[in-house]
Amino acid sequence: MESNSREIPAKGLLPTLVVSPADVIDLRRELGGLDEFMRQAALRRSGQALALPKVGHLLGELATVNNLNLLKQTDRKDLIQFLSDLKGSAPVVHMSFAADPSSAFMSKIINWFRNNVHPQVLVQIGLQPSIGAGCMLRTRNKSFDFSLRKRFLDNRQLLLDKLAEDRSK
Amino acid sequence: MVGNSITIWWIIPILACLLISAGAFIWLAVRLGGGHSAKNAKNKKNGSFEDAAEKDVEHIFNDDFREELRNRGRLHFEKIIGENAMFLQQDLRLTTSQLNEYMKAEITKKLQEEFTKYEESITDAKQLAIDSIQKTNMAVEEQRQTLSKQLQHETDEQKSRLLKEFENNMADIINHYVLAAIGDQIDLSDQLEYILSDLEENKKAIIEDMQSGV
Repeated sequence: MESNSREIPAKGLLPTLVVSPADVIDLRRELGGLDEFMRQAALRRSGQALALPKVGHLLGELATVNNLNLLKQTDRKDLIQFLSDLKGSAPVVHMSFAADPSSAFMSKIINWFRNNVHPQVLVQIGLQPSIGAGCMLRTRNKSFDFSLRKRFLDNRQLLLDKLAEDRSK
Repeated sequence: MVGNSITIWWIIPILACLLISAGAFIWLAVRLGGGHSAKNAKNKKNGSFEDAAEKDVEHIFNDDFREELRNRGRLHFEKIIGENAMFLQQDLRLTTSQLNEYMKAEITKKLQEEFTKYEESITDAKQLAIDSIQKTNMAVEEQRQTLSKQLQHETDEQKSRLLKEFENNMADIINHYVLAAIGDQIDLSDQLEYILSDLEENKKAIIEDMQSGV
């Protein structure tokens, strides 16, 4: 988990599609671009054609869940601030899986974290094919092994007993 | 030595027979010669009568008669000599055959003794070789048993080491086996409940770590 002394923003909801710090950075950049475009559009002469930039699905979802209108400068400013704060202070956990997880799978994991741990948890996803099944979770100070390998290690004695039983037959 | 003494005892009677035969012959010849001269002397002493008798005797025992006697004596002597020679020849043949028998027996005995010694030597050598082979076999057997024990010990050690290593790394081995066997069939979606239950079990620790970090 990334350390930061800044406070986590109390307000602001994160949609489940926003998973990782990279998503937050992308959103921040996209919103920055939109804000810049809107600022320049405000300076344009009347009668000139205005080509609005396309808003990404994530950014739209973020604005929706937070009841913000991206056309309003104050809302954009709040959202930019929120994303900036989030980037610096949101709790981040690292999860490694044997294969690349689907978005549906990750949304369930994210939901669990945000419902049970913190509403603004971000997850960094890693690949570790050697774990086979399960996952590895790393928080700021701790590491949790939920892999199949760990399960085998925990039940090693059971397997040894079974082997000894088969050997004695 | 015994053989030589037996031969001498056989030769002595033969020589004695020869000497007796020669003595008898000489005695006969002396008697014949001695008797004739004694008669002549007696005739001389007894005078003419005796001379006449002597003439008659001389007439009877003339040279022809004497020659006849000599011939007879010669023949008799030759006969005796021939008989003795025959006896001697027989004795010599007997002696020779006995000597041959004796020599044959002695040689056979000597050869037998030598063969016995030779057989004993061969038996001793054979026994020595057998003893040596047995000792070698025993040494080889001991060596084999020692090697066998060492090999068994090494095998047991290797076995226990492998077993221990297997037990120590069993989780990795089984994990690797499961991955190799059904790794491509394990779907993350199927593991969701399992992962969520693990997260739920460690929820407290995760929250504490998050809060301490914040």
